[in-house]
Amino acid sequence: MTGGALVTGAASGIGAAIAGRLAERGWRVAGVDLEESGTELALRADVSDRAAVAAAVARATEELGPISLLVTAAGFYEMVPVAEIDDERWRRMLRVHLGGAANACWEVLPGMLARGEGIVVTISSELALAGGGPGDAHYAAAKGAVLGFTRSLGWELADKGIRVNSVAPGPTDTPLLPPDSPWRAPDYLATLPLGRLVTPDEVADSVVFLVEEGTYFQGQALSPNAGAVI
Amino acid sequence: MGMLDGKVALVSGAGQGLGRRIAERFGREGARLVVNDRKPSDGLDEVVAATGAVPVIADVSDPAAVARMFEEIEAEVGDLDVLAANHAYMSMSPFTEHEPEDWWLNVDVNLTGTFHLIRSALPGMRRRGGGRIVIIASEFGVVGWANATAYSCSKTGLIALTKTLARELGPEGISANAIAPGIMDTPQLDVDALDAGVSPEEIRVRYAAETPIKRIGRPEEVAALATFLASERASAFVGQILQPNGGTTRALA
Repeated sequence: MTGGALVTGAASGIGAAIAGRLAERGWRVAGVDLEESGTELALRADVSDRAAVAAAVARATEELGPISLLVTAAGFYEMVPVAEIDDERWRRMLRVHLGGAANACWEVLPGMLARGEGIVVTISSELALAGGGPGDAHYAAAKGAVLGFTRSLGWELADKGIRVNSVAPGPTDTPLLPPDSPWRAPDYLATLPLGRLVTPDEVADSVVFLVEEGTYFQGQALSPNAGAVI
Repeated sequence: MGMLDGKVALVSGAGQGLGRRIAERFGREGARLVVNDRKPSDGLDEVVAATGAVPVIADVSDPAAVARMFEEIEAEVGDLDVLAANHAYMSMSPFTEHEPEDWWLNVDVNLTGTFHLIRSALPGMRRRGGGRIVIIASEFGVVGWANATAYSCSKTGLIALTKTLARELGPEGISANAIAPGIMDTPQLDVDALDAGVSPEEIRVRYAAETPIKRIGRPEEVAALATFLASERASAFVGQILQPNGGTTRALA
């Protein structure tokens, strides 16, 4: 199955790698991002804005036909000690990650339900599986919420022909991690069985597997994480 | 180009069920294949005919037999890149009524047999500077299953073995991952049917109805996943327990 795919966060990092791989595999990809993505159809929108997502999905459907694959990869990362997470930081983290996934689902699912088929892959995080460390409270909560959303949606849509799963990457070598990020520190990497960060392409390969051959997965999280969470 | 071009792979329990489909897929993806089973069978012959695999017969619960089998493997194809430990024995009985000898057979074949295979495969993988171990566990090993204490604990043991080996061998470039499938359409369902006192057809209908996506799994779906895990595409997976189960359980493993 190929056709129209919508990928959020497609301008950089994991989202860009996924969009690229999907295009190689024959998908017509609409990329939604704050920035211009290198996808067949580049749509600029803030995924936390329901109306903007609705407009992007309408445009993608118009240009590419029915969206039969949704990948929600839009996100950002910041480390902030919990006492310093103010309401605005908390809200923004939840609205972009959980809201971004939910907004895209709300707009894409009616078409999938009408056709009786579709694939949804959310990008969560190893921190959704195991929690994070100092400064990760809001990010881990948001990614945990994405995973809970994915599992519940997977159950709800199981008998409707729509496959819903998540990829929960370990620390990945993207612009989200600045050069001085503790996730890049040799002491941290030495704790990983593979001793290195995950690459965006490795995350994209996991998404492609789920899309093309993961036909008996429902509500699951696959975690290419270099051994960060075992 | 195949996903496993040039890789030397062993699949245990390859005469039927999941193992047969895994072997067939590995063969189609270009692997140089060795297929094991406890005894010769038409199924194993057909796999050999379809893939050009080298058949090696051994009861994996017997350490001496596994050692001899690896001498044969070394002579025929050399060191392994990929080990798919798929073989299994399953019997069901209420716990207190389970004959100890048969109870232990589940553990000795599934868990100890996999230990034997890995122990014998490691020197070759180390010589090659890396390898992939794919272990077939089970949903029963994640959530437990009434009347299947022996099988379930052997499979949970395999999950712990996978995670521990991942930590221990990951730094050497040898990745261990496991698949814990839900209900799959294999001859093993005959055991479930016998335990439930219904026909094999009835147990399939019953299990499909109990599965959120309303069907039981196809062995080809596990074969596709095993191939992915054995390939370079899964290079960031280590110590993971993947659960293709149609949505039956969301328990983390």
